[in-house]
Amino acid sequence: MKRIGTFLLAGLAGFGLAGAAQAQNVTVYTAGPANLIDSLASGFKDETGITVDVFQATTGKVMARLEAEAGNPVADILISASWDTATDFAAQGKLLDYNSANAANVPDFLKGPGYVAQGISALAIAWNPNSGTPRPADWSDLTDEAYRDLVTMPDPSQSGSAYELVAALTTQNDLGWTLFDALAANDMIVPGANAQALNPVLQGAKGVVFGAVDYISLGQAAKGETIEVIFPASGTVIAPRPMMILKSSKNQDAAKKFIDYVLSDKGQAMVAATYLMPARSDVAADRALISDLKILSVDPASDRAATLARFNKIFGIE
Amino acid sequence: MRPDFFKRGFFDGGGSIAAVVAPVLIVLVAFPLLFVLLQAVFPDIALGSFADPFGRFVETLSDPRLVRWTLNTLMLGVCVVVGAFVVAVPLGILRGLFRVPGGGFWDLVFLVPFTIPPYIAALGWIMTLQPRGYLEQVSGVNAGAFLFSFQGVVFVMTLNVFPVVYFAVSRMVATIGGRYVEAARVAGSTPVRAFWRITLPLSTPAIAASLLLVFAMAIEEFGTPAALAARSGFLVLVTGIERHLSDYPIDLPSASLLSTILVLMAMTAFIIQHRVVSRRDFRTISGKPGAQDLLPLGVWRIPVVILFAVVGLLGAVTPVAAVMLTASTRTISGGLAVDNFSTVHFAEIFANSGGAMEALGTSLGLGVAAALITGLLGTLTAYVVVRQRHLGARILDFLTMIPNTIPGIVVAVGLILAWTQPWLPATPYNGIGILVLAYCCLLLPYPVRYANAALRQIGPSLEDAARVSGARHITVFFRILTPLILPSVIAAMLLVFAVAARELVATILLAPLGTKTVALFIWRQFEQGSVGLGMAMSAMAIAITMTIPIAVAIWTRKRGQMF
Repeated sequence: MKRIGTFLLAGLAGFGLAGAAQAQNVTVYTAGPANLIDSLASGFKDETGITVDVFQATTGKVMARLEAEAGNPVADILISASWDTATDFAAQGKLLDYNSANAANVPDFLKGPGYVAQGISALAIAWNPNSGTPRPADWSDLTDEAYRDLVTMPDPSQSGSAYELVAALTTQNDLGWTLFDALAANDMIVPGANAQALNPVLQGAKGVVFGAVDYISLGQAAKGETIEVIFPASGTVIAPRPMMILKSSKNQDAAKKFIDYVLSDKGQAMVAATYLMPARSDVAADRALISDLKILSVDPASDRAATLARFNKIFGIE
Repeated sequence: MRPDFFKRGFFDGGGSIAAVVAPVLIVLVAFPLLFVLLQAVFPDIALGSFADPFGRFVETLSDPRLVRWTLNTLMLGVCVVVGAFVVAVPLGILRGLFRVPGGGFWDLVFLVPFTIPPYIAALGWIMTLQPRGYLEQVSGVNAGAFLFSFQGVVFVMTLNVFPVVYFAVSRMVATIGGRYVEAARVAGSTPVRAFWRITLPLSTPAIAASLLLVFAMAIEEFGTPAALAARSGFLVLVTGIERHLSDYPIDLPSASLLSTILVLMAMTAFIIQHRVVSRRDFRTISGKPGAQDLLPLGVWRIPVVILFAVVGLLGAVTPVAAVMLTASTRTISGGLAVDNFSTVHFAEIFANSGGAMEALGTSLGLGVAAALITGLLGTLTAYVVVRQRHLGARILDFLTMIPNTIPGIVVAVGLILAWTQPWLPATPYNGIGILVLAYCCLLLPYPVRYANAALRQIGPSLEDAARVSGARHITVFFRILTPLILPSVIAAMLLVFAVAARELVATILLAPLGTKTVALFIWRQFEQGSVGLGMAMSAMAIAITMTIPIAVAIWTRKRGQMF
């Protein structure tokens, strides 16, 4: 009971202490991966003595919290898994215009006024070699009879990168929507967000993920799961993960130091260790890099609602 | 509310219970819910702006899919209620009325489903029943077609929620006792007739109250229908709400607006429930509380134990087994091969014992705090609601119900909006206090409904007798009423503890910076595809969470009561 009492006291103390100004802290709101922000935070603390307070969730949850506390902002830095967050926030004038000296070797298309990529993921085919299916080489292979009822795809309504893939593939001249019509006819399922699409393939209930987030599957393969990441020959989309300092930040100097740290050799090595592609082109990684991939572009003017509506209709999830 | 209303109604002589309860409930429940409503109406309320009122109404409510989603939600809620009734009411009555071999043991077994987060239970069932799942690896057959369907969702959700009904009914029936049945038997009734005419009708408040909870939980639950039925095209309102919050750009106003449809649905269910329990008088305890003499089962011993065992096997053993198997195999793709069994995931948790142990400690502390606060507050609220017959009391009663009907994520948004208001002198936001507030808000319905049903059985004559003998109201409350309803309240507090110790949906959004809870730890592993590691943590959490109910069971047995 004493423990409980202590706990309740701590809770009550929390009432009073919350919101008190903290001098040598920087608050980061970030989408996953959790182990990356943990190692970045502890490395940064070792180097600068500044404590990093982390809130980590999915991009959607991070944005919901950010939006709900808009009247009383807490975050200094936002790291999202959706590039649109950065371009929108920049357009709304919510970002501090900061150009880190360490961003010199980040390619121009991975930075903008007030934002810069932390790392990049790409979408790929994740194939279970034990599934009894032939090794696929391209998206359209998965419409083949050999993959009937054996393909999963993350839901584009729940995963921003999956949406980008749909938007990019459906605007290719030779593919259009026929690819997705054929996939639906081949009984591809759309079971949920990224993790829900991967799980049935790991256990073997299904054989292939169409549009798996590459770094998660690469990490699982490194842990011994039977899963192979294949980058389709006709190209794929990338999802750069933008970092930005919010203009409302009261710890802008510490925030700038944190951005510098993530883009430093050490920080970028941590990014590479999670199987994300580093943002800096001069940092090596043990995986395929942007220069190795054929990247499909997405028309920024594409109609998200209409695209999702058509996709949902094709797969009967409406 | 007018002051004289307080004076006549709530104060009830010396007791100032209502004066304490009402403001607490307003801060705890009404304040965040008000902001859910404001968010639904005013899109920019987060910035303190009342601009563009009803700006999203037309766009959100004109969605042609809404009607189908609403009907699907209703169908799911009703079917889970029916399922829970069929599974739990017979079990609860048997447990409360008869000497079921291993009675306390079954109570603990049936508490296990509550300690498993719904998304883990759903994942456990998927990994067991899907093609090439554990069942197929062991027996060669799979039940994927059944699982990924509407029936599958109802099956899994029923097994998740039936304990709510089981505990309410068994505690209530035990309190009524066999005396009335015996009286009926003496008067010439057959046992079957005595059951239908006496026991079942007298259990109505408990059955109705717990089924209301089940309905609210079923229409609000996101993970299970999304994981199991979305792929067969069965979408519910919460799916729509979650879509507004799952990826950029997010839409808080539309999510709040859709939540109000759920509240309306729950309000209807609440009114029906209220009609059912106010139609008759259920007061059975009016004099000396009867000794709880359980009846012998006779030749029915074996069939009854088999029934308990089957439900225990499906509700508790199967999901826990799936969790354990996944936790103790190195890779998922390796399956149940001998060389794939490994303690590597548990070893990793112990290696990160700092983070994992901190998370376990935080979650247990939060669970205990939520159980104590909601237990006390729920009992007081129920007392006010049952003894007072004002509209105000009715409103209080429904108020405590609402948080259970809104998706946790929307309640969490409401809490953030409310507790980041710049005019507040102090705020628990970004401290551990916000999680205590959130869990109390979300879980208060359990103790309120349980205590409410129990209090309806107690006639005022005991209180009057005590008052005549000179006892003060507060004394009567704690010395007469509390002991009589304690079995129900303790059961409800254990449910609260189990849920609070593993709550995820609201916690994701509300967790103070750097705070780790068990559910967050598990969820982060799943997000990275590390299912084995997440399941190892789940297994440890279930085991550690169960120690408290086990301790309570042992403690109450020593005192000669059943928990």
